[in-house]
Amino acid sequence: MLKDKYADRIEKIFAKYADKRSAVMSLLYLAQEEYGYVTEDACAEIAALIGTDPTQVRSIAGFYTMFREEPKGRYWLQVCTDLPCALRGADKFYEELLQELGIEDGGTTPDGMFTVEHVMCLAACDRAPMLQCNFHYHEHLDMDTMRALIAQWRAEAGVLAEAAAVGDAPAE
Amino acid sequence: MTTTVTIHIDGVPYAVPDGMNLVDAARIYAGVEIPIFCYHPKMKPVGMCRMCLVDLGFEVRDRATGELALNPDGTPQVRWGRKLETGCTTTVRAGMYVRTRTEQVQEARRDVLEFLLSSHPLDCPVCDKGGECPLQNLTMRHGPGTSRMAYDDKLHLDKHVPLGDLIYLDRERCIQCARCVRFQDEVVGDDVLAFHERGRRLQIITTSTPGFDTYFSGNTTDICPVGALTTADFRFGARPWELTNVPSISPHGPVGENIALSMRLDRDSGGVQVIKRVIPRQNEDVNEIWISDKTRFGHHFTLSPDRLREALARKRGELTPVALDDALKAAAKALKEAGNSVGFIGGPMTSNEDFFALRELAAHVGSRKLGLWPATLGDAAPAAEVGIASGSRLTELGKGDAVLVVASDLEEEAPIWFLQAKQAADRGAALIVANLRETKLDRYASRTVRYGLGGAVGFLDGAASDETLAQAANLVVFVGNEGLGADEHGVLLRAAANLLITTGHAGRRNNGLIPVWPGANTQGGFDLGFESAATRAMLQSAPDVLIVVGADVAETPAGAAALDAAKFVIALSLFPDATTAKADVVLPIQSFAERDGTFTNAMRRVQRFYTAQGPVGESLPAWQVIGLLGQRLGMDRPRRSAALVMKALAESVKLYAGMSYPALAEAAVQTPPIGISPGFYGGTAAAPTGGTGLQWPSKAESRAKLSVTPVEAPQAVHAGAGELVIVPLRRLYDRAPEFFASAVMHGRIPQPFVALHPSDAARLGAVDGGRVKLSAGGASLDVTAVVDATAPEGLALLPQRLAPGAFPQEPVAGRVEPVAEAVAAD
Ligand code: SF4
Ligand code: FES
Ligand code: FES
Repeated sequence: MLKDKYADRIEKIFAKYADKRSAVMSLLYLAQEEYGYVTEDACAEIAALIGTDPTQVRSIAGFYTMFREEPKGRYWLQVCTDLPCALRGADKFYEELLQELGIEDGGTTPDGMFTVEHVMCLAACDRAPMLQCNFHYHEHLDMDTMRALIAQWRAEAGVLAEAAAVGDAPAE
Repeated sequence: MTTTVTIHIDGVPYAVPDGMNLVDAARIYAGVEIPIFCYHPKMKPVGMCRMCLVDLGFEVRDRATGELALNPDGTPQVRWGRKLETGCTTTVRAGMYVRTRTEQVQEARRDVLEFLLSSHPLDCPVCDKGGECPLQNLTMRHGPGTSRMAYDDKLHLDKHVPLGDLIYLDRERCIQCARCVRFQDEVVGDDVLAFHERGRRLQIITTSTPGFDTYFSGNTTDICPVGALTTADFRFGARPWELTNVPSISPHGPVGENIALSMRLDRDSGGVQVIKRVIPRQNEDVNEIWISDKTRFGHHFTLSPDRLREALARKRGELTPVALDDALKAAAKALKEAGNSVGFIGGPMTSNEDFFALRELAAHVGSRKLGLWPATLGDAAPAAEVGIASGSRLTELGKGDAVLVVASDLEEEAPIWFLQAKQAADRGAALIVANLRETKLDRYASRTVRYGLGGAVGFLDGAASDETLAQAANLVVFVGNEGLGADEHGVLLRAAANLLITTGHAGRRNNGLIPVWPGANTQGGFDLGFESAATRAMLQSAPDVLIVVGADVAETPAGAAALDAAKFVIALSLFPDATTAKADVVLPIQSFAERDGTFTNAMRRVQRFYTAQGPVGESLPAWQVIGLLGQRLGMDRPRRSAALVMKALAESVKLYAGMSYPALAEAAVQTPPIGISPGFYGGTAAAPTGGTGLQWPSKAESRAKLSVTPVEAPQAVHAGAGELVIVPLRRLYDRAPEFFASAVMHGRIPQPFVALHPSDAARLGAVDGGRVKLSAGGASLDVTAVVDATAPEGLALLPQRLAPGAFPQEPVAGRVEPVAEAVAAD
């Protein structure tokens, strides 16, 4: 339960708002961080915390694209293919990236490592092709830098997995 | 009074109330229809669909002098807005100019429609709403004739999404107006619907537990401006143009919801007229445009195969089908022998005409035993004295007013009043809910009062000193009988009258007492001289002949005993039940759908219902059966129509003077008019055709001098050692045949249960979900225990009419014992 595990953080979140209901976005982030995506139970937990109905929480999670509603890859790559980025070759880059990973638009690699989606403008048009990975921007991309990044992420994940195996996950 | 201002619509000046919604003002005062989808006069405007775009301007005034700036031709200068604005989010004010017919406005409407249709499936030929669909109608009127959208580009979404047991959602048809979402949120207060995702993919969802299962869910299918929401009952049932809407009144509960029965000749039912659906009929004095799901879906009993179709009489001890004449003959013979030792008991769906016929028969045989069922009600005189004043509207209560609810679970007993009390609180009225347990209305209460068994009278007696109540501009008091004995109920009604008199609220519009009676025509029974107390007397000492009309008297042990004690029982009934099983003659009667009649609701409004379908079997209206019986005893022939019975009734019952059928058929103007025709607001509520009824004035309104009668609470029931007090509750969904015949509702009717406080359950060894045996007054019931922390300690809360078997209907001391579960043999 978020309530028990993150009592302090939740209290701090509530302190920021006059009305508990206003904390729904922050709590959704917390839930996503904890469970990997916004689970049904998480919606119920949050609804109970802020005094609303679970359907209303689900509705907010559904409105914003930064909330995941299904399990996704560990690295969630959102590539902007909107018009300005497309003019700088983002759509071609996106196709190549999908090919590199061997998945379709919106798909997840079989090892559960990467989910790739195309999204609308991320407000970094002048630095396209660009993507957002777990809410961090990576800009001025081409396939070489991308391959390097993929390798780096795979390595990182390996380290994480090992650390988890010995029960000592490094801090984010 | 609001002030009136002048606005110009399409160049014509109109006087309209300042601050009124522009869409309403244009519709009501100028007859100009600004097309809408999302706006609904019963909910706050949200400006979501953009269908109501208009050109808005204001007259120009000179800053320095405040003088109107004029054009050279002497007309006032108007500064028009640069963009169109949504009419539904605009309130009118002085100097406003509106254009609704410019090329720009027409183009906007065309574009909005083209946009809405860009992903609409256009499956009107198989859509329930087709024919009464605002999207269809407005597209015909304002839309583009063709689409520029390739069909393959349409986004396809799920078409059969159950939102709970009763409502289906077609996601493709939804035009995202949020009427359903807002209804659940604003009107009902149960936030279980919402939107998910956005843009074209925006969809209605519910992920709550329990999901979309309020007592009002069907109303969303009325107000949905497309065929996105349909009921499990009516889905694919008929096309709207095949239906004839027959005005009627809900036979369920004391509110008297105005409804229309949508009738069609139905092949599957043997080519007869059947009710395909029940829709609300607008009456702003009663149910506005809302009905409960019980009223909407609880109509199947009218054609239930279980209905009594022929007369029965006892032959060699067995009830046997006989010709109606023979049954009447046997009944008349018994009546002749009984002299004046005859008693009459009318049930909750007995119409005024039926009560009147009984009364005439009683007078003929010289009996004054006029009883009302159930036998649990107190004296109704206080309701006649200070009952809510005529012309009152619960929808007008708000800031500065107070609503007091005592001893009633309004949501279960009168769902529409629950909505109206809740919304009065939303508008700022003080809502005080007093009961011996928690009820759903507590959520919206400004104050809740908890009293113990026998404490209701004491609370209400002291309420006059409560500032909120004493100083309320208007005060409405709902009084039920939950947890009360019959006498205590009478005293509580009297205490409510005292409160209204002492605080000076009696007799004023929007003030008064509303008794939460159990039946659709309990009030009518009282008006015609029938009393619950008379029934109790007959249960004590039974007359020789008992005539029972639409009342399952055998549902209580005392009632069953009285039926046994009477020498001869004549039962007029819709269904065979425990009472008819004990009768000597059984006569089938017609339901509200097969005959004309009137019910008087608990706000004393006499309302007509009309014949919609043919008779079932040999059944006749009860008044006619009684008349035929009277004829055999030497009375005149029965009157030829219900209208003539009502005429005689109005001549002999002073309260009903002038209430002829034509007078009752007059429809008061509804503002705003939300009916299917003219259809402007969209939705399937019927217009008030058929009449909105007439209210008889309470005594207080005639300035009669009213005096306070001191009250004293009768002794409360006490539980002996090892006992609990078993408190019967009225629940909306029960297993009475008049409701249980609707199979579509079975999933929503609970298994027989009793609610126990955790400490009582622990002491008795009852576990949640385990079986227990309740015994009291020589009767026993086998039910499931529900351990419920909101149940008061020492009480066992028993919803009525769930478990088969007779059981007392007043609070009674009794035993609750766990039943050892039989171990299944393998
Ligand atoms: S389901 Fe009907 S009422 Fe609800 S948002 Fe869609 S169109 Fe409006
Ligand atoms: S269009 Fe891609 S970031 Fe703006
Ligand atoms: S925006 Fe006005 S009716 Fe929808």
